[in-house]
Amino acid sequence: MLDWRLLARSDRAYVRVAVDRAALPTTLVVDASASMAFPVATRAKWATATQVAIGLAAVAHADGDPTGLIVPREYEPTVQLTARTRRGVLAEFDRLLDDIDPDGAAPLAPAIAAARTPRIAVISDLLSDADAMLASARVHIARGGEMFLVHVVAPEELDPPRRTLLAVDPERPELHRLLDASARDRYLRSFAEWREHVAAAWRASGAAYTLATTEEPIASIVRRIVTGGL
Amino acid sequence: MSWLLPSALGIAAVAALATLALHFISRRRPIAEPLPTAHFVPPRAVHARVAARAFADPLLLAIRVLAIVLLGAAVAAPIARSSRGRVARVVVLDRSRAVASSQELRDSALAVARPGDLIVVADSAAAPLPKTSTLASLTTTSAAGSLSAALAGGIAAAASIGATADSVQIVLVSPLEQSELDAATAAVRATWPARIRVVPLRLAAPDTSTTRATLRADSNDALLAAASLDGLVAGGGSASPSRIRLIRTAPDSSDIAWARGPAHVLVQWPARAAPSDWGSRPPGTDSVSAVVAGGDAVVGTLRRPWRLPALQSGQRVVARWIDGEPAAIETQFGAGCVRQVAIAFDEHSDMALRAPFRRIFARLVAPCSGGERASRRAGTSSIDMLRGSATALASAPSARLDSTRSTRSPITPWLLAVGALLLIGEMALRRSPRRSTV
Repeated sequence: MLDWRLLARSDRAYVRVAVDRAALPTTLVVDASASMAFPVATRAKWATATQVAIGLAAVAHADGDPTGLIVPREYEPTVQLTARTRRGVLAEFDRLLDDIDPDGAAPLAPAIAAARTPRIAVISDLLSDADAMLASARVHIARGGEMFLVHVVAPEELDPPRRTLLAVDPERPELHRLLDASARDRYLRSFAEWREHVAAAWRASGAAYTLATTEEPIASIVRRIVTGGL
Repeated sequence: MSWLLPSALGIAAVAALATLALHFISRRRPIAEPLPTAHFVPPRAVHARVAARAFADPLLLAIRVLAIVLLGAAVAAPIARSSRGRVARVVVLDRSRAVASSQELRDSALAVARPGDLIVVADSAAAPLPKTSTLASLTTTSAAGSLSAALAGGIAAAASIGATADSVQIVLVSPLEQSELDAATAAVRATWPARIRVVPLRLAAPDTSTTRATLRADSNDALLAAASLDGLVAGGGSASPSRIRLIRTAPDSSDIAWARGPAHVLVQWPARAAPSDWGSRPPGTDSVSAVVAGGDAVVGTLRRPWRLPALQSGQRVVARWIDGEPAAIETQFGAGCVRQVAIAFDEHSDMALRAPFRRIFARLVAPCSGGERASRRAGTSSIDMLRGSATALASAPSARLDSTRSTRSPITPWLLAVGALLLIGEMALRRSPRRSTV
């Protein structure tokens, strides 16, 4: 910007270069439903979600933005940490997330609605209440907020085992589906179409959508999200 | 070691192979695995099973196959045989009156029988030779022969020793008289699943003495006329003495002594006074007017003023009144028999001259144990029938004898018990949660 005072004193025009940035409180909403504890042996989805959350919190904290955390739970009290900038917030995030064992099928839409920060980053597999989440996200964006969605997907979901198995939804144990060679193609097609639909819907709402597989390095995922605007 | 029902082993082997094959192509229930995106799988019936061609569950397979084999072995009933490869023999000796002589019978028996053979003697009935008797002391009897009885006795004896040998052979030593065959002979023969070695004996010469009777009666007796008409009266010039004596009076001591003779028949047919042990009937109650003997019957003015004594052991009814009451009974008496006839008729009528009455009369004066002896060899076809098919086995495998049904295997209960335990174990193993093979 032009430095008018310096111009008046020296009759020379100077341009003042300064960082003019307001603090942007950020809330991380992390999905801890049973579907995130997949695969059972490694719980790679939950590990990816927590590491991405820590990474995003680190980025926000480094920018001086107050950062909060909400982890909805079905059988236990919701983990909620209001946005803050104090030192040690990352360690606190790490401790809280490390103590969580994903289970249940708690919806995330109420958590999105409850987050009062102008920026919300949701880390989820969208297998619980995707439509309600999208609706809450639209409300938040309409209010001028920023919305980031990190869609966590496991390779075992993208390419399930080729042997015949009885697929059981961990969030709805009563749901059994026979996955064999004949059903495999239709599964892959349906899942791909759904991912495309979800990505398009969230992007259309104004949110930044990022697909994260558990195979991808966390730094790469965080970098993609940050370069997208976080 | 042999088996009472070897086919059970074959069935068990087939079942074991089928079980083995099923284990190789077992169908498993799909393994349940968590998949968060399960609802993207198109809905289908989840009770489908998955074929697995890999060898599945060797422990379960071993238990199943072992249980099947043990149960099959239990049903097959193993029995231990001490005389493996041995062919047992049953020699059936026909000692009926059709045999030419006792010497003929003894010579043939000694020539045919070997040590260890089971000897069965038969006339109208068959029974194993008593242990107290020997072939050297064997004699013929006056009884009519029956090849049906001889075969039945021989087959029963063969079945009784079936468990002690691998196979059994029957040797039939008989004069094969035509009259010894009856309607049951072929059926009885058909129950023996092998050939029968037939050793024919010489037939007894026709004995006219047994077809002619000596009558002691009044000269005007009606029965004398009937006997004369049929040529049954023994003449004074007869070469051989008559073995049938018909008396119309009470028997004396000489009659009793004579009746003990071999094949002697004393026919006691009172004309008026009945023996004291016969019951009497009030006059005028003789409403029955028919008598049946064998296949013959006579209907007419027949009276029955007496009631024969109750039948006792060793007696048989020769003729009956139409209401079933015995009209004539026969009692074995020494080597002969005494026949008591309680039939009265009007001797002034022509009853005795009628053909039906004469046929009944002929039966009443027939040799002991019924019927006349025809002394004629059975036909070739009948003898071939007795021998059996040339393609049949010479001896019957003991496993095919009916006696095996009553032979018990001492191992069978143990095999069944172990098999049952294995099945219980199989059920427990199959229901264990870690197994999904069905």
